Amino acid sequence: MTPKLPIKIAAHDFRVFHGQEESLRGITLNIPANRILGVIGPSGSGKTTFLRALNRLNDLAPETRINGQVLLDEQDIYAPSFNVVTLRKRVGMLFALPVALPMSIFENVVYGPRLSGVRNRKRLEEIVETSLKAAFLWDEVKDRLMMSGLRLSGGQQQRLCLARVLAMEELEVILLDEPCSGLDPISTAKIEEALTILKAKYTIILVTNNTKQAARVADETAFFLMGDLVEHGPTEKIFTVPDDQRTNDYVTGRFG
Amino acid sequence: MRIPPKYTQILAVTILGAATVFTVAVLVFIIVFVLSKGLPGINWEFLFSAPKDMGRAGGIFPTLVGTVLLPLMAIAIALPLGVGTAVYLTEYTRETRLTQVLRFGTDCLAGIPSILFGLFGFIFFVVMLKMGWCLLSGGLTLAIMVLPTIIRTSEEAIRAVPNSYREVSFSLGATRWETVLKVVLPNALPGIVTGVMLGIGRSIGETAAVIFTAGSALRMPASAFDSVRTMSVHFYILAREGISNEKAYATAAVLIISVLAVNLAAYGMMHRFIAKRSR
Repeated sequence: MTPKLPIKIAAHDFRVFHGQEESLRGITLNIPANRILGVIGPSGSGKTTFLRALNRLNDLAPETRINGQVLLDEQDIYAPSFNVVTLRKRVGMLFALPVALPMSIFENVVYGPRLSGVRNRKRLEEIVETSLKAAFLWDEVKDRLMMSGLRLSGGQQQRLCLARVLAMEELEVILLDEPCSGLDPISTAKIEEALTILKAKYTIILVTNNTKQAARVADETAFFLMGDLVEHGPTEKIFTVPDDQRTNDYVTGRFG
Repeated sequence: MRIPPKYTQILAVTILGAATVFTVAVLVFIIVFVLSKGLPGINWEFLFSAPKDMGRAGGIFPTLVGTVLLPLMAIAIALPLGVGTAVYLTEYTRETRLTQVLRFGTDCLAGIPSILFGLFGFIFFVVMLKMGWCLLSGGLTLAIMVLPTIIRTSEEAIRAVPNSYREVSFSLGATRWETVLKVVLPNALPGIVTGVMLGIGRSIGETAAVIFTAGSALRMPASAFDSVRTMSVHFYILAREGISNEKAYATAAVLIISVLAVNLAAYGMMHRFIAKRSR
């Protein structure tokens, strides 16, 4: 067994409703720090809803209500006193479709730091270099940082988005929502490699439709089905000897 | 009887093409006609000297100044109000019955004949507020007149900004206001500029509402509380009172060229802005 790690995020009987529909039905899940948690399950199982709840992006949808608790470092992120802007700086998100903002590569990366009030040009340049290096994009773009981010390829844009998240100095948790669904194998490999390095510093939650990807990079895996958390455990166990028959059926490709 | 697709295709292209040719031809004819009659009367003296004898002789300088100042004032008032309203309606409120009513009202206002705005401006600004016929009364009235256009075009432009941009901005810890400033408005700018251009065009061309509120004094305005005459009003008076056809055409030519210049300048600025952002 791996040594006991501190819990970074803990969900207690957490529920999300979209209008009348209950999209998450009481999720209780402890996510350890400095690990990659893979979240798998067929589409419509609530994986993305769960992920978006962790940095409260669900707040933006008018019909959404929540119930239960999500604790980040033992603090309830849905408590009225919890500052949602601070939360989103600590918990960054990478979307399924890469969205480079229509501005230069440089400005894309420093979007977060500028919001936090970093003004010093030299400091910003340092942030851009370290973030792009960590996202394995630096070598491809270092000579054209002032070029629009929109002119990069899809795979490069997704790494730019990763760099943009990493640029936030307050960052502690990275949420990834099927980040490789539209990418070529090389870009996918680069992102996966980046993640395995980044977990030393951050807690990573990776939602993926690609069970093989979870098997490759995740330390722990959680299987969602129809809004329920069916099973959660070390990745080798989930993929070899799961406790639940449904998990077994899913990872062996019998449905999903 | 069924016409073979090949022929309906030819028919469609012919009809649509003819419509286009007709429209463009009418426009070109009007412009060429006015310019050919007016251009000979334009020289430096005409542009930069004061009119004499009610406009029968001399130039149009005060009306040129009036034509610059009045729309400028109208836009200076209408732009912040209009864009502010559009941002509020799109970013800060959810779609409710109230916003629908507001939107419907704005659409109706955009279609109201300008003379009604003129009448309102006359009664409210000129008489009730005792401001008299002046630049400010005219500017405020024109601002109210172009406000619906600016609100609606800005709203459409803001709506057209992809939601994913907002989501990214929020996910990076931006507040709604920061998102509006850094992502929404810059990307909506071309559309907003289009609305402003339409507003400027309407203000420059407006006659009825301007006579009612800014008056038609042929002097140089010394302050916002002086009456002014715009080129459109000048043209109207020259032609209508039969003062001088020659000067009327020359004024009209200057008017057309100024509108063209304003549009070209705005497009130029917009292209530079877009090019700068997507280089």
